[in-house]
Formats: sequence, C-alpha cells, structure tokens
Amino acid sequence: MLRYIIGRLLSILLTFFVVSVIVFLMMHSVPGGPFDGNDMPVSDAVKAKLNASLGLDKPLYEQYLRYMWGVLHFDFGVPFQSPGETVTELLARAWPPSLILGGSGVLIGAPLGILMGMAAAMRRNTWFDYVVSAFSTLGLTIPVFVISMMLIMVFSVWLNWLPAGGWEKPYSWILPITAYAAVPMATYARYTRSAMLDVMNKPFVTVLRAKGLSERRIIFQHVLRNAALPLVTVFLPMFIGTATGSIFVEAMFRVPGLGAYFVSSITLRDYPLEMSLILMITMMFCVAYLISDIVYALLNPRIRFGGKS
Amino acid sequence: MPLVDIQNLHVSFPQHEGLVQAVRGMSLAIEPGESVGIVGESGSGKSVTCMAALRLLRQPPSRITADRLILDGVDMLKASRNDLARVRGKVASMVFQDPMSAFDPVFTIGHQIVETIRAHTDASLSTAKEQAVALLDRVRIKSPVSILNSYPHQLSGGMLQRAMIAMALSCRPKILFADEPTTALDVTIQAQILVLIKELQAELGMGLVMVTHDLGVVAETVDRVVVMYGGRVMEEGPVQAIFDDPRHPYTRALLNSIPGRTPGKQRLTEIAGQSPNPVNPPSGCPFHPRCAVALPDCATTAPATRPIGPGRAAACWGLQ
Repeated sequence: MLRYIIGRLLSILLTFFVVSVIVFLMMHSVPGGPFDGNDMPVSDAVKAKLNASLGLDKPLYEQYLRYMWGVLHFDFGVPFQSPGETVTELLARAWPPSLILGGSGVLIGAPLGILMGMAAAMRRNTWFDYVVSAFSTLGLTIPVFVISMMLIMVFSVWLNWLPAGGWEKPYSWILPITAYAAVPMATYARYTRSAMLDVMNKPFVTVLRAKGLSERRIIFQHVLRNAALPLVTVFLPMFIGTATGSIFVEAMFRVPGLGAYFVSSITLRDYPLEMSLILMITMMFCVAYLISDIVYALLNPRIRFGGKS
Repeated sequence: MPLVDIQNLHVSFPQHEGLVQAVRGMSLAIEPGESVGIVGESGSGKSVTCMAALRLLRQPPSRITADRLILDGVDMLKASRNDLARVRGKVASMVFQDPMSAFDPVFTIGHQIVETIRAHTDASLSTAKEQAVALLDRVRIKSPVSILNSYPHQLSGGMLQRAMIAMALSCRPKILFADEPTTALDVTIQAQILVLIKELQAELGMGLVMVTHDLGVVAETVDRVVVMYGGRVMEEGPVQAIFDDPRHPYTRALLNSIPGRTPGKQRLTEIAGQSPNPVNPPSGCPFHPRCAVALPDCATTAPATRPIGPGRAAACWGLQ
C-alpha cells in the first residue's frame, strides 16, 4: 500500500510538471498580451516598458523557469488585473465563498441524491422511480443559470423570502447553494440508482435471499456496500468543482468567488493568475483521485488483499 | 404429507420476443428425506421450478401460478416477505450453479455463513462462529478457520462450492435444492462435490432436489428421477427403473444419447430437431415434433401424467 502511494505521488509530480509546461505554452501562444486591451490603449513604447517590467520580454523558457521557481517557494506572483495583492492573497479572499458554495452544495446534494437513487432502485419501475429519473434528468439538462433564475423568480421575486443575490448574510447563501446542489444531487441519484440495480442483479443477491436474510439487511448491508465502490470514485472529484466555483451560479447570485477570475484571467492575459488557478486545480484533481483510489482499495477486498492466495 | 408439494406450477416471464413460458404445469411431490433428481436439457424449466419453489424469482416481471406450492406446510404463494425469509435457509436451502458469483465479494466467507446462522437462530456471534467452523469441517475443508477469514476471490471454485454447501446446511434445512451444483466446476472436483452432497444428505436425513442435465449425476446421487421437457414432466420414477426401462420416448432418446450406454454401438444417437421454443411452444405434447413414435393426438392435446407402474408415471399418449 505504501509503495503504491509513493508511486502515485511520483506520478502526480510528473503530471504536475507536464500540465504546467503545456498550460504555459498554450497561455503564451494565445495572441495578444496583458496591455493590448482597448479600454486604455497604450503606446508601443509604454507597452514594451511595461512588458519589460513584468519580465515578459524574456524568452519563454526563462519566464517559465522563473515562474515555477516561485511556485516551488509558494510565491505565485502578482495578478496583473489586481496588482495591489499577490495571487495568494487573492485566493485567500475569493476562494472561501466558492468553497462554502460548492462544498455545501456537494455535501447537501450528494447525500440527497444517494437517498433518492437508493429509493428509486428499491422501487424500480414504479411512479417513484420515474419521478426520480425525470427529476435527475432535469437537474442534469437544465443549465444551472436557468435553475438559478427560476429560484430567484420564485423565492425572491414572487415570495420575497430570500435575497436575489449577495453573500453578506448566511441566509443569502441559501439560494445559490440550492442552485449549486442540483447537479451533484442529480448525478448522484443517477449513479446510485444504476449502481444499486447493477448489484441487485448479481447472482449473489439471489443467494442472500435464498439464505433467508431480510430484504432490509440485503439492501443496507450487502447491496449498498457493493454499490458504494463505484460511487466513491465519483464523489471526491466532484468536490473539485468547489475550486472552480460555479462560474454561472456565482455570476447569477453575485457571489464574490473565484469563478469570475477563471474567465478574466484568460481574457486579460493575466498569466500569473491563470497559471496559478490551473496548477491549483491540477493538484486538487490529482489528490482527489489519489484519495478516492485509496478509499476504493480500503472498501474492496479484491484490491486490498490482491488476487488468489 | 409431502415436504414439497407442487401442483400444476406455471411460470412465465415477459421478454423481448414475447411471453416465455418456462414451466407449464409442473407437479412435484417430495417426501421428507427423499432425494429426487430433475433432469432435462437447458430451457426445460428445471431450474426455474426450484427458483419458483422458493419464490426467488422477482414478481413482476415473472408470473407464478400453481394449484399448490407448499413447502413444509407453508403456502409459498400466499407467504409474506417475512414468512418467505423464515422458510428460506431454514426449511429449504439452495446451492447454486456458479460458486464464484454466489458470495458477496466484499465480505469474508465466515461473515456470510455467520449471518445466515444468525438470521435464523438466536446464536451469539461467537457461537455462530464456532458453528461455522464445525460446518466447514463437515464439508471436509481442511483449515476451516483460515477459510472463514478468506474473501471469496481468494478461494477456488471447488472450495467455494463446499463453503456454499456448508452455508446452505447451516440451519439444518429439511430440504436442499441443488441447482446444477457441479456444472461450473472442474471434472475432478465434480465427483467430490457430488459425493459430499450425497453423504451429507444421508447424514442429516434431509430431502434433496438435484437439478442437472447430466444423467450420470442423477444415477450417482438420487433415488428418484423426474425428466422434464418443455416446462413439463415427461416421466418420473425410481432411478434404476428409469435407466433400465425408460418408457417415455423422450427419456429413451435422452438415454440413447449418453456415450457408452449401448455396448458395441459406436455412434451416438442425437435427438433430431431442436428444443421447443418457450415463447411459442408446440401444441399438445411439447416433444411431439421430435418424437419418432408420435400419434395424431400428440399434436393436439397434451397427455396428462398417468401412473405406469410402481412409483412410476409418464405423460405420453403412446403409453395409454
């Protein structure tokens, strides 16, 4: 197990390196630079001066090495679009709302989805199952900004129960979190239902019935435990959405999160911020998959104990 | 009163091609301690009969009807979920064809045997564990404790089938349904498992239903045999009598297709034609399209099963 984890950590480092090179090259291959915007046109001479002050006149490999050297010392640079703070400070400011939004969205949506999927699998081909299926299909197909708009219409405009946006008071979190939870809930409902049905059709479930176990024990102990295996692999990666934030939900509800910076860092050629955000996501993906693989192995004796002894 | 009393059992399930009529009027009575073999080719309805007897088929989609479906006095057609759970594993157990897929892969063998014992008795965890060790010992497993702590994927098919038998017998059932228990195993292991089942049946004095397509298995393990074809009983009687003097044309054809039964004869006789289509079974006797001695009546009306000698019965117009 330890060997496996060390191997995985090494491969994470490699991934990290490859991603950083590719992203750096792609970022700089996009035409234009940070000072080519039309809002405040600057003369070529000024532009050259500014570029030189940020080191953008240096050859690409030098820029890359300089940036990565900083990253290794946890110095992620200064965002061009907000030069009064470092990238680290910007993350410290803008990440928490995204984390709260996405984290609670997943933490609320996933368990609800799992319960819905379980209930649907146990009552398959009944009206309840069809309602859950329809509901989860809607949750996955209606764009999240439409869901957001409907929530604002109903709860803010018509009922006037909750604010239509903002992030100052915790109760203003309710609507965006609800909107955010729709996708994890729908995804989990579908996954759980199909994972449970898949297990319920296995021959060993017939054997469990033939032994005279109660249906409850069969479902909650055996089917659920087996169905949990594929679910684990979906769960952690879903949390990564909390880093990217839902750009749409944050925009709809005016949440001062990270989502907007993903877009602006690209359109403004804000190289340090763009690079930092993508490296951060890469790291989170790698760690999330590593953790879910370890949990998977812990749940699955076939991996935990290897093959035939 | 027979332990198993099945009268006029019909089982069907809707499928893509139409309604599959797997069992069409099967009757079976088994006395306590009796061993019965159900033989027939694939699709003859033998496994489905056992599954239906324990109500292990999901309803819907499958449809089960019978004049009587009684196991040890319990009307299985009217039984509630709880009643069914009490009968299964306690009164009647089942051993399945493929031991590799019969255990839950994420729990140890021991866990799965212990939970069976504890589902039917008040045994404490430690008593149940002791019983499980004794059971594995009883099915001639050499190191019971290490097998109990093993996960299914760590054991061989033969070992798993032994454990499966131990689990099925853990609550001393009055009858064991063995659904092709050796089909998925190596030939060398097959004989061992059959001997084991036969010995345990005698030891525990329980009833046994051995479902198989292998007449050799039947000859070795049971007293009475029921020959099924197209979801119906063709012939039944004591094993020896049926082997010595098969009366139904299908039984005869089946015995003629066993290698080495007719001395001097080199070529095996196959049964011409194909198994009946379960969606659209032939009218009358299901065997008549392939029967060498079919009469005009055979194509129109199905013959009832009638006695044709001591302990013997057959469903054939040619014998009446």
